Amino acid sequence: MKCDVVIIGGGHNGLVAACYLAKGGLKTLVLERRENVGSGAELDHALGPFSSQIITDLNLRLELLNPKVRVLALSDDGQSLCIYNNDVDATVKEIEKFSLKDAKSYPEFVESFSRIGRVLAPLLSMTPPSIDKPSKGDVWQLGKVGLAFRGLGKKDEYRLLRWGPMAVADLVSEWFETELLRATVAARGIHGAFAGPWSAGTSLGLLWQAAMDGSALASSVSVRGGMRAFVQTLADAAKSFGAEIRTSAEVERIESGKVVLRNGEEVEARAIVSSADPRTTFLKLVDPVELDPNFLLKMRNYRAPGVVAIVKLRLSALPAFRGIDSEEKLSGRIHIGPEIDYLERAFDASKYGEFSREPYLDIAIDDKVMSIHAQFAPYKLKEGDWNTRREEFADVVVDRISHYASNLKDLIVDRQVITPLDLEQSYGLSGGNIHHGEQTLDQSFTFRPLIGWAQYRTPLQSLYLCGAGTHPGGGVTGLPGANAAREVARDFKAGKL
Amino acid sequence: MTQKYDVVVIGGGHNGLVNAAYLARAGKKVLVLERRHVLGGAAVTEEVFPGFKFSVCSYVVSLLRPEIIRELDLPRHGLEILPLDGTFTPMPNGDYLWRVNDHARTRREIARHSRLDAEAYDEYGKAMIEMAHFVKPIMSMTPPDPTTLDPKGWKNLAFLGRRFQRLSDDDKYNQVQLMTMSAVDFLDQWFETDVLKATMSASGIIGTFLGVRSPGTAYVLLHHYMGEIDGAFRSWGFARGGTGAISNAIADAAREAGVEIRTEAPIAEILLKNGRATGVALANGEEIRANVISSSVDPRLTFMKMIGEQHLPDDFCTDLKRYKYRGSSGKVNLALDGLPDFKSLPGAGAHLRGAISISPGVEYMERAYDEAKYGRFSRRPYIDMVIPSLTDPSVAPPGKHVMSCFVQYAPYNLKEGNWDEKRDEFGDAVVNTIAEHAPNIKELIRDRQVLTPLDLEREFGLSEGNIFQGELTLEQLFFLRPAPGWAQYRTPIKGLYMCGSATHPGGGIMGAPGRNAALQLIKDWKKSV
Repeated sequence: MKCDVVIIGGGHNGLVAACYLAKGGLKTLVLERRENVGSGAELDHALGPFSSQIITDLNLRLELLNPKVRVLALSDDGQSLCIYNNDVDATVKEIEKFSLKDAKSYPEFVESFSRIGRVLAPLLSMTPPSIDKPSKGDVWQLGKVGLAFRGLGKKDEYRLLRWGPMAVADLVSEWFETELLRATVAARGIHGAFAGPWSAGTSLGLLWQAAMDGSALASSVSVRGGMRAFVQTLADAAKSFGAEIRTSAEVERIESGKVVLRNGEEVEARAIVSSADPRTTFLKLVDPVELDPNFLLKMRNYRAPGVVAIVKLRLSALPAFRGIDSEEKLSGRIHIGPEIDYLERAFDASKYGEFSREPYLDIAIDDKVMSIHAQFAPYKLKEGDWNTRREEFADVVVDRISHYASNLKDLIVDRQVITPLDLEQSYGLSGGNIHHGEQTLDQSFTFRPLIGWAQYRTPLQSLYLCGAGTHPGGGVTGLPGANAAREVARDFKAGKL
Repeated sequence: MTQKYDVVVIGGGHNGLVNAAYLARAGKKVLVLERRHVLGGAAVTEEVFPGFKFSVCSYVVSLLRPEIIRELDLPRHGLEILPLDGTFTPMPNGDYLWRVNDHARTRREIARHSRLDAEAYDEYGKAMIEMAHFVKPIMSMTPPDPTTLDPKGWKNLAFLGRRFQRLSDDDKYNQVQLMTMSAVDFLDQWFETDVLKATMSASGIIGTFLGVRSPGTAYVLLHHYMGEIDGAFRSWGFARGGTGAISNAIADAAREAGVEIRTEAPIAEILLKNGRATGVALANGEEIRANVISSSVDPRLTFMKMIGEQHLPDDFCTDLKRYKYRGSSGKVNLALDGLPDFKSLPGAGAHLRGAISISPGVEYMERAYDEAKYGRFSRRPYIDMVIPSLTDPSVAPPGKHVMSCFVQYAPYNLKEGNWDEKRDEFGDAVVNTIAEHAPNIKELIRDRQVLTPLDLEREFGLSEGNIFQGELTLEQLFFLRPAPGWAQYRTPIKGLYMCGSATHPGGGIMGAPGRNAALQLIKDWKKSV
């Protein structure tokens, strides 16, 4: 079989890339290893948030649900703190329960992040510039960002420069004194990261989040019908543009100008675009002799430690959380991790190959399914392995939530536990890292996945990357797919393919 | 009021003295005021116990800028650096790792642990030297202000950008990693031997409240390759007569250039008139006038104590309050009747002449940090020991020895109790930890001095006991040190400059802040005339 573009992996980034390329008139084929497309995105609670530009470009018919609540944070003494979406006044009232001082700081905190977010936002949808030979376009783009940076004013300019490398625990303590609020904000910096809030560089997550939707906290936007409906919409759009999607079609090897499927079938393509993570792409799918040993060495050093396990509970009814009187408060994310030290201790365990006995939990409830991201669950356990300890960890998670919702255990109809090992084996995420590689400073922007290879191109002529292992990284944003598609299309146009 | 000076330098530590020397050489009339009875600040030698002289705080030299040694002609003023040969790390399993300055021997030693690592060690050394060359000129420049609208400021930023651009691909990759990664993550890419990684990564945490796995700690690995002593790249050393001898040599050079130095002259206040610094008032009430005040003490003392918030812009005060000190280390100085005998390598061999590092594994280091995070000192800390009396017999009576132990972690803020109650317990923890490797140590101790972060604050004027006058973390380096917008050694108070470790490029016996500040001040002086 022959086509213009073959896309490896039908995750949401692969599908977005397929949409753009097919829409541009290229014969595009998506090959998905699993039975369904988009299974990785289905693990997420919310759209990361998905780029509105992509929704417009592709004319996606998505009904976005923007719950009033962004995050509800629970504390051990039965108190709770509700942070609302786009409603600073209501949030300030909530914070006043804890501290008048913090309530006063909160509006400026929101404003500052939203201003900085607006400046950073254009970076997300641009191809990171080449450091060696920046093109005229690169210089133009960066110049625009530079001007926007100037527009921030000295105070915010310096904030941005300071916050990048800072420990998120320090950042939040500069703004707030309430431990629960500190921990809730700080959590965004360590989500999916092999780091505790005291680790330097964890503030970066807050800046990226702000760039995406103007707020430092994780988004709670979802789609009617859930993530499955979202993925289906993307797949339908791809098909409507003329792309073909094949499931249960595992690519075994990437060769020059073609991919070889597990069943031996070969598909020739002028461009091969991989949405698999960089380690999988280069260390599993490409024959090492095709790559420069130096590049291989750097790729082996690309860090993708898994730290999150996902527990899904099917419930017979909504559990009763202590101190929570309205269902509406449960409509966003639910945060369990009441203190900075709690989060840090949860991380401590994972450094020594143990899972947290009191994990940090990020929860979303949708239609009686409670989906929990539990951290820290290190990919490599010191004792035993995930196949023997899966249920033990799930019990820890359920016990932890029961602490806040005592009737939970009676309501569980069914539970599914996805460990970091499962994430690797079933979902193809190398090391079980949900972001296709740690999002630290040295693996971000023009360094993602590697310095010199951040333009979605690779050392192999017709091979491109379009997954979360490229700029701007993980989360259900669709941006890596869209950015990569733009570069692939550019090379087609230039006659390079 | 007596006489008027061009510049009064607050603090007679090594940076204050360097600053004064350079200013005097440029023809300024300079007075240095030191609170204590001895010069040197944290680079000081004191006879703590009769006959036993200790480099009380700072204990090794590596980063003293060669241009300072040259320009101030320090060897002529008595500076003599004796080599510190290698690092010996005893391990609990009875083995050890002993790296020396002889590259071939170190390579053989590492090969004993891992052949792969021995090969990587060559490559690593080469790569690091390249990086050190890149970073070197940055140490002696005044940091640019990235928010400036002045085209000259842009030129400095562009200079940095172009320099980076000219690096080879591999060097760029290494440089980015070094600036942002954790020491352990960085070393994991090169080596597999746990004890090697632990010992090397230790340099990344010294003086910072971070663990070896925290991003930002890799950068300090470079410092080991920047140490230049008499031109020899990457060697460490002792000063003959202890660290205080360095300060004394600088003071001598400064006096020769015409600097006046007064000890036991604590300052109560920096005098202001119409928002401009005009002089200082001593604790005894004496007032000394000067055109410019150059402060080598940390920003908390300079601004909060000697000036007062009410005279400073609000934003600047906020930034100063956010500047992080949080001392994380202590010092234990031992007067010994003999030499410690290590289980893993018995006898008084050459391994005792270098640094002895208690850093047997990455997990050990990390657990030491974990305790400190929650407000306790490490029960089994990371310890870096030296026995200078083996190389320089002048510091101890015949047959006796002094041993200096740098200890981390010891958080300034304890969750339970206070340092005055916990001092001895802390000292015991250190001795017990050493005794695990050298059991005879307990019988050898004649006297011991335990310096907690609180003692460092009280005795040496280091706020919260931070040995670098503020943490060396990325958000407090270069154009952010000590406060955003004020990294050019100037301050919001006209006529007041900073020249201590709290300015770029930071702490350690480097002298660079003092020299950079002096050069900046001289430049500004010319403009204002």
